Amino acid sequence: MTLDLLIQQLVNGLIVGSFYALIALGYSMVFGVIKLLNFAHGDIYMNGAFVGLIVFSFVGIWVGNGWLGVVCALLVSMLAVGLLGVIIERFAYRPMRNAPRLSILITALGASMVLNGTALALTGGRHYAFNTDLGFAGVDISTVHITYTQMVLVAASIALMAGMQAFVSRTMYGKAMRAVSIDMGASRLMGIDVDRVIALTFFMGSALAAGGGVMAGAYYGSVHFFMGFIMGLKAFTAAVIGGIGSVPGAMLGGLLLGLLEAFGSSLPFVGSEWRDVFVFGTLILFLVFKPTGLLGRSVVERV
Amino acid sequence: MHFGHAAWMRQQGKWRELMVVSFKRLAKRLACATALAGLAMTTMAAAADIKIGIVAPMTGQLASEGQDMENAVKMAIDAVNAKGGVNGDKIITTTADDACDPQQAVTAGSKLVSEGVTAIVGGYCSGAVLPTLKIYGDAGIPFVIIGANSTKLVAANQGNAFLANSTGDMQATTAVELFKKNGYKKIAVVDEGDAYSSDLAKLTAEAFKSAGGEIAAKETTTAGEQDYSAVVTKIKSSGADAVFWTAYHAGGALLTKQLRQAGFQGGIVLGDGNNSPEYLEIAGSAGEGVYLLSPPTVDLLSGAADFKAKYKETYGRDAGAYAALSHDVGDLIVDAITRAKSADQKAIIEALKASDFKGLAGEIKFTDKNTLQTSNFRPVIAKGGKWVAE
Repeated sequence: MTLDLLIQQLVNGLIVGSFYALIALGYSMVFGVIKLLNFAHGDIYMNGAFVGLIVFSFVGIWVGNGWLGVVCALLVSMLAVGLLGVIIERFAYRPMRNAPRLSILITALGASMVLNGTALALTGGRHYAFNTDLGFAGVDISTVHITYTQMVLVAASIALMAGMQAFVSRTMYGKAMRAVSIDMGASRLMGIDVDRVIALTFFMGSALAAGGGVMAGAYYGSVHFFMGFIMGLKAFTAAVIGGIGSVPGAMLGGLLLGLLEAFGSSLPFVGSEWRDVFVFGTLILFLVFKPTGLLGRSVVERV
Repeated sequence: MHFGHAAWMRQQGKWRELMVVSFKRLAKRLACATALAGLAMTTMAAAADIKIGIVAPMTGQLASEGQDMENAVKMAIDAVNAKGGVNGDKIITTTADDACDPQQAVTAGSKLVSEGVTAIVGGYCSGAVLPTLKIYGDAGIPFVIIGANSTKLVAANQGNAFLANSTGDMQATTAVELFKKNGYKKIAVVDEGDAYSSDLAKLTAEAFKSAGGEIAAKETTTAGEQDYSAVVTKIKSSGADAVFWTAYHAGGALLTKQLRQAGFQGGIVLGDGNNSPEYLEIAGSAGEGVYLLSPPTVDLLSGAADFKAKYKETYGRDAGAYAALSHDVGDLIVDAITRAKSADQKAIIEALKASDFKGLAGEIKFTDKNTLQTSNFRPVIAKGGKWVAE
């Protein structure tokens, strides 16, 4: 592998990895707080992209199809889809909170299908163009071309994740979140409004996924009802690699997964069709040998 | 087309198994039906009209295409009737709706057989045409297939069916011709890992190698994935002159965009699964100058302007993609009946085999497998957000 190729795949891995990290973060936060694998998370990402596209087409009339439009779409979509996350939690997950673990897992699958099916029915399975004026301008490092859009994209997702990390580790609400994730009952006894903290977690996780969705839609230029499926699987893998329940773990896992994909598909003698074998093979290895992931804490069963 | 739907491809396997079970029962029922129909025919022989069945999706998602097929065939036949018919007989048509669904296609096929049609034209979805081949084959009815073009149809043909559209594998020939014409020496072939696109990729790679070309890279992407950057990087570093994408428009648009974004300057050629306005919308300016191997759609045929105008005048709507080919097939069947000099089905089949027909969509001559001798795919190019003939 030449140096150029190495740099190019590194860039590729970082970009796709930052998407994975954004989505994985929501997965991880929700799991941390209510121990639920929120299978609807990938569909939240898809919904975020669609809401973003709608907003983008609307504001585009006044502000054009440039950065300003994308930022508007990003903010509105994060807010709206964050609220959607709260609604899903309120009506689908909260009634199941004391039910057996399997019931809520199946509810999550159901929520995923409802979101996915609604999007299919509304869009007729069409691929919608998300055409921006961002263009392909950028800098060249020998043969490697990095567009400004790509740089902004990575920077924006890192900023979002850093903000999230700061929120969880520095604020009172963040502290409450961590407390609920350690012991829900004790938190309630300490006067923490547990329902509110869980709703907040869903809001933030869903908003991050929506942000990822809008950025992916604008970057790749296409939005589709099924786009959340593979993204959800990959984000789950990223969360497991990083250690599910851990915020820095999700970021690390996402970036590592992106790099693994990029380099996995450019190994000699191995075609790109093997990429997903690497990804999900890694997931299995982690689940078998290190289920707590790279940065996760081992959970001690309380008796 | 018929193949543009990935979902259909996935379902096809399932359907085929189902079909086999119901066939045996159906064959019995059919035998009765044809016997009855035969009786009816002999008693009504005095009417002496030649009846041609049209089978097309008249309901469901592809109803618009089916309507076009029916309209265009009728238009051809009305013109013949206006000139006094064929061998002195008038031609009447009857339409059966297959809804592009294998089960409904079997019902529609039985209906046509029991109505005692002389010949059948139509068929848009390969999955719906496949189970009817046995029905028409057992009844010995000449059947000219208009849109459907799976190679599976060739294998299941009992000798009475003719494919008026190029089969998917003939696209490889057109692709290699285009590569040579544009002077591409090293090609990267990319598919989506499903049966259709990987077959086309394999066939094209083989054909290009035997024509003296070099395959610089052979890559596979995952359907539904959005990021193709790893594949794009490999293509770029392989030094390919051009990329051939064999799968569908959604992935095609993403790949095109990401290739151009990464600064790939070479040619981009797309298989017929990309023949969709959505491709051009999503690819945007990155799609300019991209080649598409297109079936003979009416907008891209130079000699079809009169036909288009007349179609619009007659039916008050624009002629759809397969209207020209459907019109050709209407003429072809009349041509065969004329040459057979009778409405005898065996004679018509023999006449079809010997067809040497030139229509709007190109030449129709059949091989000994009843497929087209020359590919009717043609390269078109994206210019100003539209596909145009070169």
